[in-house]
Amino acid sequence: MEDQKVIYDNKTVKLFILATLVWGIVGVLVGVVIALQLRFPAFNFGLEFTTFGRVRPVHTNAIIFAFVGNAIFAGVYYSMQRLLKTRMFSDLLSKFHFWTWQLIIVLAAVTLLLGFTTSKEYAELEWPIDILIALVWIAFGVNMIGTTVIRRVQHIYAAIWWYIATFVGVAILHVVNSFELPISLFKSYSLYSGAQDAVVQWWYGHNAVAFFLTTPFLGLMYYYLPKAAERPIYSYKLSIIHFWSLIFLYMWAGPHHLLYQALPDWAQALGVTFSIMLIAPSWGGMINGLLTLRGAWDKVRDKAELKFLVVAVTAYGMSTFEGPMMSIKFVNQLTHFTDWTIGHVHIAGMAWNGGIVFGMLYWLVPKLFRTKLYSEKLANAHFWIATLGILIYAIPLYWSAVTQWLMLREYTPEGFLAYPNFLETLTQILPMYTFRILGGTMFMIGFLLMVFNLAKTMKAGSMVAQEEAYAPVLVELGARDPKKEGMHRFLERKSVRFSIVAFIVLAIGGAVEIIPMTFVKSNVPTIEAVKPYTPLELAGRDIYVSEGCYNCHSQMVRPFRWETDRYGEYSKIGEFVYDHPFQWGSRRTGPDLARAGVVGGPMYKNAAWHYNHFMDPQKMNEQSIMPKYSWLAEKDIDLDIIPVKIRAMQKLGVPYPDGFDKIAVDDLKKQASGIVADLKASGITADPNKQIIAMIAYMHKLGRDISTPAVNDSTNMATAKVVVETLPTTPADLNSGKEIFGKLCASCHGPEGKGQATFPNLTDDVWIHGGTPTDVVNTITNGYPVKGMLPFKSQLSDQQIKQVASFILNSLKK
Amino acid sequence: MGSDTSNEKLKDKKDPHDEVMTGHEYDGIGELDNPPPRWIMALFYLTIGISILYGAYYFWLDIGENQDQQYLTKSAKHDEIYKQANTPTAEMKLLTDEGSIAEGKAIFTEMACSACHGLNGEGNAIGPNLTDEYWINGCSFTNVHDMIKNGNSIKGMTAFKDRLTEEKIAKVASYVLVSLKGSNPPNAKAPQGVICK
Repeated sequence: MEDQKVIYDNKTVKLFILATLVWGIVGVLVGVVIALQLRFPAFNFGLEFTTFGRVRPVHTNAIIFAFVGNAIFAGVYYSMQRLLKTRMFSDLLSKFHFWTWQLIIVLAAVTLLLGFTTSKEYAELEWPIDILIALVWIAFGVNMIGTTVIRRVQHIYAAIWWYIATFVGVAILHVVNSFELPISLFKSYSLYSGAQDAVVQWWYGHNAVAFFLTTPFLGLMYYYLPKAAERPIYSYKLSIIHFWSLIFLYMWAGPHHLLYQALPDWAQALGVTFSIMLIAPSWGGMINGLLTLRGAWDKVRDKAELKFLVVAVTAYGMSTFEGPMMSIKFVNQLTHFTDWTIGHVHIAGMAWNGGIVFGMLYWLVPKLFRTKLYSEKLANAHFWIATLGILIYAIPLYWSAVTQWLMLREYTPEGFLAYPNFLETLTQILPMYTFRILGGTMFMIGFLLMVFNLAKTMKAGSMVAQEEAYAPVLVELGARDPKKEGMHRFLERKSVRFSIVAFIVLAIGGAVEIIPMTFVKSNVPTIEAVKPYTPLELAGRDIYVSEGCYNCHSQMVRPFRWETDRYGEYSKIGEFVYDHPFQWGSRRTGPDLARAGVVGGPMYKNAAWHYNHFMDPQKMNEQSIMPKYSWLAEKDIDLDIIPVKIRAMQKLGVPYPDGFDKIAVDDLKKQASGIVADLKASGITADPNKQIIAMIAYMHKLGRDISTPAVNDSTNMATAKVVVETLPTTPADLNSGKEIFGKLCASCHGPEGKGQATFPNLTDDVWIHGGTPTDVVNTITNGYPVKGMLPFKSQLSDQQIKQVASFILNSLKK
Repeated sequence: MGSDTSNEKLKDKKDPHDEVMTGHEYDGIGELDNPPPRWIMALFYLTIGISILYGAYYFWLDIGENQDQQYLTKSAKHDEIYKQANTPTAEMKLLTDEGSIAEGKAIFTEMACSACHGLNGEGNAIGPNLTDEYWINGCSFTNVHDMIKNGNSIKGMTAFKDRLTEEKIAKVASYVLVSLKGSNPPNAKAPQGVICK
């Protein structure tokens, strides 16, 4: 049969390569900047747009979606056409894919720096961009599956299986994790709350690693490694086994990001076991890659591209062993919240993803431009400087993790935490952060060498944008003959059916975890004391999200004695039911804040402390590396959107009373003026409309509800009130009351009860919590811990409380 | 591509499967019919077995403790180890011997009490004067001991119960009451609270 002419589209491949190089430089450079910020807070530049909390997501998104993403697309568009002997399905879709993806990247960088974020890691982009991503992804999928349909090759090769899994996997993940309720163009609330949100997010986060950083790269490996080594793939059977087992198992392993956290035990156990089961399927890829190189190791010695590919595959094997080990609960208490995870992801990211991309580009660019690589020597220099850079980056971080963990859990012989102050442990590991800067810089220099080398290569060669080739027409084989053709072989020539089977295999793991978490009530036991956020606290929470505080502070106390002694009671699932989105965090560069509002707890700081600390953290702790947030005292709280926020929360099931949106702003102002008065007492003049006030309110909300007696606001007060008809008024009683007053009350209300600072005057006719004997006795008994009034029921007998009340009402108030 | 030359080299290795499978050639990439190495399959089955045992241990057979029980067990062990230090040994009372006072002073320095109460207890912008006769929260040994122990987080006084033993708290309290009180240092902060003798 006569061959048909095929015209390959090389232009799109070239565009994606150029984008890879440009965004790669940006991503790596931003990485070096945030590494500097963690060591020297001055590199936050004192601007809201350049603080670590906002820049770190720019780094992760730039590396994952801009650098790695464009590299994947370049590799896929080149290899797919050749593996299927056809042009891509649609030039229009190719064009749309490329340009819209670049638009998304630019929008991402701008919005993240402006503080528009959902705070869900690696899915921070707000809803309009989410929609754009979905559109591009569908375009990519249609283009890809369309190409498999018009192919001229009987079977789809293993690389294509991985590309299809990538498309299907990311589509499921992105859609399910992006369910959110928009309240404005740049702000939305996650439809899920608390523990459910956490399960969905880390199912996504973990599988973003799987289906954006693993499966497409295995696909690239299956094409570029045998191409560069000129060897056949070692085992077709292994390809099949490790493909299906890997994509099936990966989807279940997400909860390993939430071990020892507020998650049902069964979900955690799935995270542990499915991670362990992933070792062999992952290693299947490494082995098939390394054994493919049998007899080609002499080439590895000479060619930089093969060196990169070998290091990549080896690093993949290491990381996919390390990951399951980190998913064992006992090990996870060390690796989670410390730099271990940062070291782990950078070995995987720099060596595995970086290595495949570099290896691919050193092979592909000369091929595409029909010339030789400008300089093998430079490429080898890149290899060595990058490899060394990765080691200098990662090893100190592992060291740092172990050091910090040992310090955090160390007790003195008396049974006290040896380092109760989190900052001491951070100060200890800061020198390791210097090494990280060095390692990252080396990696960047290697990258620049490559860009130079490839630019020179492109200039020396010339690309044929529309490359001609010839291939025979595909003859359909029709129905399967079970004697001659295996099931899988049959599936390999039915690409649409293949994609559907992959979808089913992928959907199972997520469904088994997410559906019960969302719909089975017993998985999220409620705690009655937990109340919705007040409008001011909600405003503060949204600022916390927007500033990216979760990048350094967790809100998750794990059930270890060394955490509960340091922070307070460990976190419970029911505490987070009103959290859209959850804010548990994943790395503690600063201390946990889950108990920052527990009055009398180890993490509580008063309003004045918070105010000063936001304005200048180094003034409060000389060695702190937290950036200044002084603009919080300059920027206004957006009052117009408060009612919208309340209504949105009501839609999400947060039980605000009907019509609360109409009084929400008044409620906010009232609470703000209380905080301002409190600050004034400490000599700080603050404006109640500023964001800093909302942040203080939010800090004081964290953990407050489960730490104080249910009797902490006026609505609950009624039920617990002891009714007091008369008070004892004999001189002896009044004297006793006076004595107690002098001891316990005068320090705040003044020796004569005239009040001071925020503490009210007890001698006039104005009573904040009521002036009847019943009111006063109950106020003394239960207190108003949030406002600063302590409960005295544990220190005084009922009779003594009555005596004090009597002294106040009969002797003072005259 | 190079599937011919690679076949020749591979034949030297005498692997019966090292033939490029027919019909398995994609853009020059061949595929071999090797079975997966046995050890990787063994590893796979082993991890599946471990996972089933894990599930059985924690759920179906209910032998392993769940997360909340684990915390209680470990916490109880912890308390057992440090029991003596955490419970008051005897009824604490004012110590007047020189050794205890000197130790109290050392703790006063080590815990940085001076950050809020001044180097000589004279008080500063944050904390009250400890050297005069005016006391906000009482000047009995019990008052002072309790304040150091439990603090007053709203007013900014740190609780030291998680850092100091009962005994050490007693020593600091004694140092405050025996050495500091009535010492008249320079730059003393104005009196706060009520007279207490």
